[in-house]
Amino acid sequence: MKIIIAGAGEVGFHLAKLLSYESQDITLIDPVKENLLYADTHLDIRTIRGDATSIKMLKDSNVSHADLLISVTSSETTNITVCVLAKQLGAKRTIARISNTEFLEQQEEIGFKGFGIDELISPESLASKEIELLLSQSAFNDSYEFEQGALTMVGVNLSRTAQFVGKSVQQAGEIFPEVHFMPIAIQRFGTQYTLIPRGDTQFKEGDQVYFITTAGGVEELYKLTGKTKRAMKNVMILGGSAIGEQSARQLAKSGINVKLIEIDQSKAFDLADRLPDTLVISGDGRNVELLQEESIHEMDAFIAVTGNSETNIISCLMAKSKSVGKTISLVENMDYFQLSHSIGIDTLINKKLLAANNIFRYIRKGEVVAMTKLNNMNAELLEFIVKPQSKVCNKRIMEIDVPRSAIIGGVIRGGKGNIVLGDFTINEGDRVVVCCLPRSISKVEKLFQ
Amino acid sequence: MPRLNYKIIIYIMGLLLVFNGGFMSISAFLSAFYKESEATELLAASLVAIALGALLMVLTREHLKELGKKEGYLIVTMGWLIMAFAGTMPYMFTGSIESFTDAFFETMSGFTTTGASIMNDIEIMPKGVLFWRSTTHWIGGMGIIVLAVAILPLLGIGGMQLFAAEAPGPSADKLHPRITDTAKRLWLIYVGFTGVETVLLKIAGMDWFDAVNHAMSTLSTGGFSTKNASIAYWNDNPWIQWIITFFMFIAGMNFVLSYFGFKGQFKKIFADTEFKWYTCFVLGFSILGAVLIYWQADVSVSSISHPMVWGEAESAVRHSFFQVLAVITTTGFVSADYTMWTPFLTIMFFGLFFLGGSAGSTAGGIKVMRHIILIRNGILEFKRTLHPNAILPVRYNNRALPNGIVFNILGFFILYMLSFIVGAVGLAALGLDFQTAIGGALSSLGNVGPAFGDLSPVNNFARLPDLGKWWCSFLMLIGRLELFTVLILLTPFFWRNR
Repeated sequence: MKIIIAGAGEVGFHLAKLLSYESQDITLIDPVKENLLYADTHLDIRTIRGDATSIKMLKDSNVSHADLLISVTSSETTNITVCVLAKQLGAKRTIARISNTEFLEQQEEIGFKGFGIDELISPESLASKEIELLLSQSAFNDSYEFEQGALTMVGVNLSRTAQFVGKSVQQAGEIFPEVHFMPIAIQRFGTQYTLIPRGDTQFKEGDQVYFITTAGGVEELYKLTGKTKRAMKNVMILGGSAIGEQSARQLAKSGINVKLIEIDQSKAFDLADRLPDTLVISGDGRNVELLQEESIHEMDAFIAVTGNSETNIISCLMAKSKSVGKTISLVENMDYFQLSHSIGIDTLINKKLLAANNIFRYIRKGEVVAMTKLNNMNAELLEFIVKPQSKVCNKRIMEIDVPRSAIIGGVIRGGKGNIVLGDFTINEGDRVVVCCLPRSISKVEKLFQ
Repeated sequence: MPRLNYKIIIYIMGLLLVFNGGFMSISAFLSAFYKESEATELLAASLVAIALGALLMVLTREHLKELGKKEGYLIVTMGWLIMAFAGTMPYMFTGSIESFTDAFFETMSGFTTTGASIMNDIEIMPKGVLFWRSTTHWIGGMGIIVLAVAILPLLGIGGMQLFAAEAPGPSADKLHPRITDTAKRLWLIYVGFTGVETVLLKIAGMDWFDAVNHAMSTLSTGGFSTKNASIAYWNDNPWIQWIITFFMFIAGMNFVLSYFGFKGQFKKIFADTEFKWYTCFVLGFSILGAVLIYWQADVSVSSISHPMVWGEAESAVRHSFFQVLAVITTTGFVSADYTMWTPFLTIMFFGLFFLGGSAGSTAGGIKVMRHIILIRNGILEFKRTLHPNAILPVRYNNRALPNGIVFNILGFFILYMLSFIVGAVGLAALGLDFQTAIGGALSSLGNVGPAFGDLSPVNNFARLPDLGKWWCSFLMLIGRLELFTVLILLTPFFWRNR
């Protein structure tokens, strides 16, 4: 597949990285030399320096043969222009990154497809959706739903209260035979290494574990991991950015008391105008006194989404020290992701990463129907539809040659999720959820082709 | 521009005089039609006004067409004053009112759409003069519309810009971009409503003369009647009273909303915050009043007769609605004496004197819009104490209001209360008793008409001392022109070089 990416910012770079693992034919266009240089030396892609809105530039990058053009520069108008031009010049599909959520809401009315944009991606609204999902499953620090929740992936940090700490995967399965879940990835405390668990892998205290579970299994997992589901009543949001505003609006709509802190006075006033159900407070979120005055200790969650990663992290730590149950921090810098667990913030989110993952899913449409990257881990979660000619069709799982660095998490058959063991036979039309490390993606894909 | 542009001010005064004279000539022709001897005097008054106005216009025809805020304040205040002075001529020339003080009070009461009268026997007056009396109301109402849609928002007085430019939805600015066009559209509605009410009143049983006069008096929320007993004269004709009740309600509504009604955009009317509150106030107080009148009040105590042609219950409901609307919209018509019902109702009506109609109507008083914002701001003040850093703007018509507008309105309210107290003290100093002084000041300031005590609906202002009449005229003027417009002229910084 020939893919052109306009904009070598963090979204563009991350996308290029994800795609290059699968040896796609990728061209990256950016006017800034330094951005390209970094990508060029780190990734196996072609880079062109120049302005993507130039028609000559697009022609030079051979846009007429491109299967996909992704425009992810930081400027919305540039992205739209690039997509429209590329479509006219013969690109098969186009994806534009936007920041104005109005475009998303009125997608049908405007008919973006009509003038050449196939998909719109808004990192801000993805981030606020992510925040919502995380709050609705407050005990877990990551979650993802397949087929409207037939199977759910959740990430949890094992505390001492979790009943299977110290047990191996197999033992845990024997102790809780009625529970339907499958561990798919583990990251040991203090390491950056991702482990695909086997039967003999032991759960340890402090592990970040990802499970796949069926619709009813989420509740059971709550019990087993020693976490209690907390009802969200009071939420404090720091930063009145697009993400903050959108999250506040959504959360207030579902009946949660939202306090939003914004440092800029006139911006705070505008927010108060647009968010009638949110209590907007004007002040510096790093000021502990202010947070105490607004009773931070009564908050069920603290969400820091200012433009400054450090402010977000520090204020989340502050909130944690005031025993706020759930903290979510927006970070721009990907390097901080590795710190997430060791510093004690529940969840870090990065809107660029979210956008890249989301775009990646569009690209994989076809065999792969859904795809996500495990939060701050080096593992991917893929959902395949089994075709009659694929290698796995009509085989039992134990007969399939799944690579060591991959694991079948579950199967959705007829809309119902199943946690499967070795003797399960995969049929045509099943949707299979697989977790794998990046190096084995292509192998796994071959299995299902 | 170091100096005020006096030429244009005088030019506009001239224009107003000509306009005034034009209307006087209508009264003169009407008088001639009824073959009254006063027709020539009325025509003379008209010609004097026109001649004087034309002279002023000719003298200042070469003026700069530049109007600043300061000229705006002067034009509005002086305009009302000059109209009131010129408007005394028909009374003086025909000898209907002998004292100049009385004539001035009557005209000021007319042009400010107050409706307080010093005439002891209205029915013996020539028809031409009575028509002129109603005309002053009607012209005053027209002036208020221009004032409300065009001038006050520009001057930014007492949050009036809210109703015009700032607020979304029904706003004068969005009606039509140009002020003169907006005013013309609203005038057309005003004239239209007057015409419709005239026809309806005629059908219900009034003669043409009474119908026109009362229609003009209703739409301008004035209150002058052609009968000594005011609308109580028709207590045996519920149809007439219900028609007037309905049109009082319309007159107390924002005229811009009526415009939307004409265009069929009823959603916009019902979405308007002020309209909702206004309707709730009217319904709430009227129903409460009706219940109390029916169960508690003894209407036979009053000197006004209550024939109850449609039964006692209907009579209670009708008089309650009529009087509540007459006070809220500051019309001041009288169908019954609200001070003779129950002590509770007297106090309730005293409270209603502070309410006023909607912004953008011809009604006076504090106005519903300001009350909404004051109440909401008051509630938020508690929240602000709990959250000192929170941004808690007052919301009106789904928009957050800038603090400046809220301060404007708070300032207006305080000034209104102060004016009321100073006004009452002034009347008391002239020897009026407590009830009369308070009622007289409040009624004049709010442009209602009838008041309490010696000025209750069955009495009139004739018994006031001369100085009291001037004092009330002043209160009417400042109340009508939203306080700041007039009072700013009394400040030293207005007259200093800019």
